[in-house]
Amino acid sequence: MTAELPGERPRAAAGGELAGLLAKVARGDEAAFAGVYDHFATVVYGLVRRVVRDPAQSEEVTQEVLLEVWRTASRFDPTEGSARSWLMMLAHRRAVDRVRSAHASAQREARAAVAATDYDVVVEEVETRLDAQRVRRCLDSLTEIQRESVTLAYYGGYTYREVAALLGVAVGTVKTRMRDGLIRLRDCLGTDS
Amino acid sequence: MRLRRTDPHTLAGAYALDALGEADRENFERHLLGCEACRAEAASLRDAAGWLAEPAGAVPPPRLRGQVLAEAARTRQQPPPVRVGERVRRSWHGIGWRAPRLAVAIAGAGILVALALGTLLINTQDRLRMDEVHSGEIAAIMNAPDADIMTVHARTRGSATVVMSHAAHKLVLTTARLPALPSTECYQVWLMGTRRIKSAGRLPPPKQGMTAPMIVAGLAAGDRMGVTVEPAGGAASPSAPPVLMLALPSG
Repeated sequence: MTAELPGERPRAAAGGELAGLLAKVARGDEAAFAGVYDHFATVVYGLVRRVVRDPAQSEEVTQEVLLEVWRTASRFDPTEGSARSWLMMLAHRRAVDRVRSAHASAQREARAAVAATDYDVVVEEVETRLDAQRVRRCLDSLTEIQRESVTLAYYGGYTYREVAALLGVAVGTVKTRMRDGLIRLRDCLGTDS
Repeated sequence: MRLRRTDPHTLAGAYALDALGEADRENFERHLLGCEACRAEAASLRDAAGWLAEPAGAVPPPRLRGQVLAEAARTRQQPPPVRVGERVRRSWHGIGWRAPRLAVAIAGAGILVALALGTLLINTQDRLRMDEVHSGEIAAIMNAPDADIMTVHARTRGSATVVMSHAAHKLVLTTARLPALPSTECYQVWLMGTRRIKSAGRLPPPKQGMTAPMIVAGLAAGDRMGVTVEPAGGAASPSAPPVLMLALPSG
């Protein structure tokens, strides 16, 4: 599997560092867990906040994500992907689960109105960060419909059917654009170093 | 919605973005189990998607750090998976069995287990309340403080996942991807002890390759659980070698 992944990634060192920290966390090393928090709480909280929006709920979900890391660090399997990818998956899934629960359904329409535009605002807040800049540059290399499909799903927490409805295009189109968009993003992040 | 069986690959992007509904995701994960290239693609797209979190970064309230570290300090960690022959045994003792933790534990338990139990629980995550699970008895077993979870592969194809409570002498059984049987046959479950063999009933008919959770009660020390292919009405005793056999750990 690794042979098919592009080699060099932004902040590859931090990703490798996370794998090392996780190995220690799995053995109950609380200082290593604090290290995970210090390196990744900002990106986890930011992502959760981006999807969930409500600050109090975002704080709750962030805490759940990080405690899940603490509890399940021994289950992280480096052959299935990078440590960073694993952490981001935990965070995104929990955030998405939260917004898709019945409790949050009332807020969905409100989110729909802002999901497409808000991404620029969020990006500007942290534009000084190198990785953020790089990701944004790569996002800009996507076609408009690829970018909209990917960002509505990832930041908005929408299913591809909902994205299709929001964009007024066929579901088949959205599926394809999501995949093509991520392939382009992956290749851009992997080569643009 | 139905997965387009002709080309499930097109769902890889939506999957990596967590943009599949429940049924689509289950179908796609089942597809992943049998397709190594697809797993590799899904992992690489998942990795790319994860970088999208970077521009969203925002500093959490400072109090969160202390809360998280304090909560971790009083939270027991899950042990690593340990392979014993064909069986993957995961002991969940002492995880702290509040309901939300169960969903978390299952989510961390690997894709096969997640698939087997996932239809029941995994999508309820934080909102999980045991009385909402369709059977309170199933919930009680899965929620037992001494619950053990085991996965065993069938000789033919597919697997069974068992959650067992020693104290309750009961287990919950689900299966995935066992070979389909003609309508004249069924899978029958047996408890095979040293001194007697007892039928535990027939497996329910599979839905999308998976069988609904089934309760097997009256476990005794030293029992093994076997599954055989029998005539549709069931048999009084096993008439063929088990397609699947699991030695149940003694408490």
